[in-house]
Amino acid sequence: MRMSAEEAIPVAAAGEGQVWRGRLLKALPLAGIAVVPFIAGKTFWYHIAILVALNAIFVASLGIINRVGQLSMCHGAFAGVGAYAAVLVVMRAGLPFLVGLAAATVASGVLALVLGLLILRLKGVYFVLVTFAFGELVRLILLDFPSITGGANGIAGVPPPTFLGLALASHPSMYLFTLVVLALMMAFNSALMASPIGRAFDSIAENMALAQGSGIATRRYQVLAFTIGSAVAGCTGALLASYVGYISPETFAFSLSLDIIIMLVVGGRSSVIGPVLGALFLTPLPELLRGAVALQHILYGVALILVLRFLPHGLGGLADRVWKQLAGAEGRE
Amino acid sequence: MSISWLVAQAIVNGLVIGMLYLLMSIGFTLAFGVMRIVNFAHGQFYMAGAMVMYVCVAHLNIPFTAAIAVAAVAALVLGAVVERGVLHSFRGDDLNGMIATIGVGMIIEDGALWAFGPNPLSVDSGVSGILRAGPFFVPAARVFAIGLSATVLVVFLWFMQTTRTGRAIRAVVQDSEMAKACGIRAQFIYPLGFALGVVLAAIAGATMSPLFSVSPFMGGTALLKAFIVVILGGLGSIAGAALASLLLGVVESVTSTFVSASLADMLQFALVIVIMLVRPGGLLGKADE
Repeated sequence: MRMSAEEAIPVAAAGEGQVWRGRLLKALPLAGIAVVPFIAGKTFWYHIAILVALNAIFVASLGIINRVGQLSMCHGAFAGVGAYAAVLVVMRAGLPFLVGLAAATVASGVLALVLGLLILRLKGVYFVLVTFAFGELVRLILLDFPSITGGANGIAGVPPPTFLGLALASHPSMYLFTLVVLALMMAFNSALMASPIGRAFDSIAENMALAQGSGIATRRYQVLAFTIGSAVAGCTGALLASYVGYISPETFAFSLSLDIIIMLVVGGRSSVIGPVLGALFLTPLPELLRGAVALQHILYGVALILVLRFLPHGLGGLADRVWKQLAGAEGRE
Repeated sequence: MSISWLVAQAIVNGLVIGMLYLLMSIGFTLAFGVMRIVNFAHGQFYMAGAMVMYVCVAHLNIPFTAAIAVAAVAALVLGAVVERGVLHSFRGDDLNGMIATIGVGMIIEDGALWAFGPNPLSVDSGVSGILRAGPFFVPAARVFAIGLSATVLVVFLWFMQTTRTGRAIRAVVQDSEMAKACGIRAQFIYPLGFALGVVLAAIAGATMSPLFSVSPFMGGTALLKAFIVVILGGLGSIAGAALASLLLGVVESVTSTFVSASLADMLQFALVIVIMLVRPGGLLGKADE
């Protein structure tokens, strides 16, 4: 018998098989949405869908850090570090895309490990402020070494991802690839949440002193969460760079970290599905409101405040509640 | 031009800039001290102050100093509304309260973008020319701005030190539980303390509007400076903010005169990270973590 981390669902009494059946059933609507671009077959739909999938991975990686009760304000910067690492490895050293992807993950992960060891003893607000300062520092460094990073002009002409000798230059193939990565990320996140590590994460977020008193090496787990989350962010940055074909320090500035935080909060911080929902609802907004950028951000701000106020578990929590009601109605019949 | 003159002029410039950071940072640290919330919308309140100046001076032909009073009153109302309407429900929940201020900031910034467009606007204070004090030169507009800031600061400190309400705010900053136990009405002090912080930001924006161009995006940089000052000085410490803003102004001015502006920026952020690690309570603050 396994207790799922999604405490909103009454799985304690259900068997292992039922838990998985429930999860699969819940994944069905998402799978339905995921195939829409293939049916529509339009480039614009593919484009939006790719951005949604990339953002969902990105938001999920921030979610891992948030699981130990810390909010990172330099998540965009880690994506930037990954993107620049991958682009330099692929374009300057001429190595294959997958090597670049690995380099991105390792570069961000190692940087996060070092930074995390230094700063994770800071709590709450202080951690937030240091990560904010670090994000700005990364942006300034990227701007100030134009010989390597291209400075403010950035680097253009980043080649599309190649996978086993196959260039993912077309939209459908790129979308399929990002979907696979997203599915892997969700599976990883799910497994992590259900594992003893995930439960240690939860206990730290719930009550740091109690977790410490119970013999959990809180700092080690916090560094682990920060490293994993930031490494995945680096990987996402590399994917984004290869899809968009252009990177600059401004791509990964504070506003990116902000967008990701908003998607996480709106989607829901305590479930696997939350980041996907956050990305799904908020990513298309800028594309739909092209020409009215101001309106887009006003809507982001309003959505953020309303969700914080009325849906503390975000859209993911709402989905779980709806699901619970449906399951309850079925049970009574 | 001797090196010692250059250094001295850089220090004078730095003190001028430092004074300008001071109003901004004191408002920020006050809002934090009272609410325990990092106000990510502080830069946008600063921008709102400057925008009110633009409307008053350029469109309604209200005299500059009277327009500052208009900006202050508008900010007081705006601050109280934001506290009652949004932040009120996040009391005791620092992290979500902070995220909510991000939402507030976005709404204000993009509301201004929608109303005024992205282009820089200018506000004329009617003061121009260059003043000479001994061997040093300072633009008159800056002296005027500093005079205004200093006046506002003196009034603010007088209010905080001597009036009953000011003392009540300081009591809440020191220990909100104890203050409530002593009969201080927190439901009145919270919106007032937060709104006063907003007013200081708006006055800072209003005072600086003739020195720099006014645009919806001016809040970001200002918030960064306030962050740096407040971390250096210690979150919630007013004396710390005063010392740190002058220090920051001088360091910034000297580094950008002798090395480069981008190095000056990088040094600031590196300094912030080091200070947070070595003295989380700031230069003067007490380490409470």
